[in-house]
Amino acid sequence: MLIYAINRILQMIPVLFVLTVVVFTFVQLLPGDVIDTLIGDEQAEDPELRKALEEEYGLDKPIYMQYGIWLGKALQGDFGKSLITRRPISVELFESIPATVYLGLVGIGLSIIIAVPLGSIAAVKRNSATDYAAQVTSLIGISIPEFWFAIMAVLVFSLHLGWLPSSGYVSPFEDLGQSLYYLILPALAVGFRQAAYTTRLTRSSMLDEMNKEYVDTARSLGFSEPKVIYKYTLRNALIPTITISGLQLANLLGGTVVLETIFAWPGIGQAIYLAIIDHDYPLIQAGILVLGIIVVCVNLLVDLLYRVLNPRVALN
Amino acid sequence: MASTDLQNGRRSIEEAIKPPTLAERMARYRLIMQDALGELYKSKTALIGALMLVSLLIVLLLTPIIAKYDPVKQDYTAFRQDASAEHYFGTDRYGRDIYSRVLWGGRRLVSIAIFAVIFGLAIGIPYGVLSGYYGGWVDSIGMRAVDGLLAFPGILLYLLIVTLAREWHLEGFWNDLILIFALGFAFFPEAARLVRSSVLIEKQKEYVEASHTIGESNLYIAMRQILPNCLSPLIVNATVRLGFVILIIAALSFLGLGTPPPTPDWGADLSAAREHMESNPMIAVYPGLAICYTVLAFNLFGDGLRDIIDPRMAER
Repeated sequence: MLIYAINRILQMIPVLFVLTVVVFTFVQLLPGDVIDTLIGDEQAEDPELRKALEEEYGLDKPIYMQYGIWLGKALQGDFGKSLITRRPISVELFESIPATVYLGLVGIGLSIIIAVPLGSIAAVKRNSATDYAAQVTSLIGISIPEFWFAIMAVLVFSLHLGWLPSSGYVSPFEDLGQSLYYLILPALAVGFRQAAYTTRLTRSSMLDEMNKEYVDTARSLGFSEPKVIYKYTLRNALIPTITISGLQLANLLGGTVVLETIFAWPGIGQAIYLAIIDHDYPLIQAGILVLGIIVVCVNLLVDLLYRVLNPRVALN
Repeated sequence: MASTDLQNGRRSIEEAIKPPTLAERMARYRLIMQDALGELYKSKTALIGALMLVSLLIVLLLTPIIAKYDPVKQDYTAFRQDASAEHYFGTDRYGRDIYSRVLWGGRRLVSIAIFAVIFGLAIGIPYGVLSGYYGGWVDSIGMRAVDGLLAFPGILLYLLIVTLAREWHLEGFWNDLILIFALGFAFFPEAARLVRSSVLIEKQKEYVEASHTIGESNLYIAMRQILPNCLSPLIVNATVRLGFVILIIAALSFLGLGTPPPTPDWGADLSAAREHMESNPMIAVYPGLAICYTVLAFNLFGDGLRDIIDPRMAER
């Protein structure tokens, strides 16, 4: 297990390397001068100042040295300053991470609460009306774009019924009740698509498990049917379900860029979106890098968790 | 008697190795099509999906005839109208006919998605076939690279590339080309890996050995003999991928990172409709329904095909 973990962490290095190269190249590929791009043009009129800046950023050095300098600074958390707010980017980004994590976790939690019972009931009552209903609903669920679902939810629950706010954010540490009130619609929008995926997954891994011999053994020992299903089968079926829905987190984080924008949710997705709209290149660069690192690390954690939950995999 | 038999036999061998005439080929294709249609009836899901797809494609092909209005033409005598016999879906705030915009937008969106998936297959198939066929160190290096790319979160790549296209003021054709390139490139690792795993099984079979014995070249065996037997899982995957690609493009243009305004576009039109949602909610409904219908059609067809190709899955 330890060897596997070390191996997996070593495998992450090339991925992270490619990520940094891609993000670094991005700024080089932008139109115009790098000084203008990085500093903003109003400051860099004076040729002497430009020269000083070129030296400071190492632009007089060859490109791989520039990459090294940039990477060295990034590793220390120094991404430069935002062109718009003039604040350090690291501060801007790290302030926005909790909101994204909050929304993502509640969304995933919600999806599991909906999907696991639905998927297992569908599997237990295979080919019944309930099963077909669950299958059709989840297939439609994965076909609806989350931003459209969000708009329709706002249309119905905010504009028509006036039950819920259409956008905004309150920190859960300030006022938990109010915070949850603002969280309901965004979390539903994150959760419904995830729920549709997870329902399909739970159903098919439950069906896999129910065909296994230990289930027959449990039945022949005279255990009650609910005990066989919910205590033994479901537990085993949940291992692949949780793993794959954890790996879906990358898609989910991508989805948050859209959803955070719709609901004015001050997370990292909205930060990147606003940076793209405002042409705030250093912030785009750093935001994508941080989001990428988060995704890669989460995938690693999920993979390791899978091994811990299911020691049998190591034998294969 | 015996000699005539032998002669007859020899003649039939000569006939058998003669390349088929056009008429024979057509007859064979007709048989294959009949078989395919017969298979389609085995899965209700696939049949519904196929019907939805065929009607979608017919509508999109006929768009220049059945769309009554120019999708970008503004008409200030008829803005923000409700649905009527003149304008089936009503008009938007510039008096543009929404029905025509939905049709033209779909034509563009679906073509981009199809080209993107074809591009991904065009790289992924040769890559996967050769990697699996030659094996050894070629395979290890090739698959390590694919693993790295799969770990890279695609959505971040799209955001970077779309931002670059925006900063370079790419419009129309070039913008679409960049999207096709980015979305196709993100699909290739998955396609490569899928083909490779089928090739690994297929290359153990006897016909491969037989071809080697009669001296066929490696490239011919890999691409013309093994590949056709590895296509079915790929077709399923590409179908589902088409739906996914459509969702991504729609999300990007919803964020305002797609084609600039006058071009009809489901995502961008949805986003524009948000501002007038209180007074005219229906204009936010049509483009969204169009996305749902299209993605659902691809998902249903893909799911159904999987059931037909892999009957073990259908039992579940």
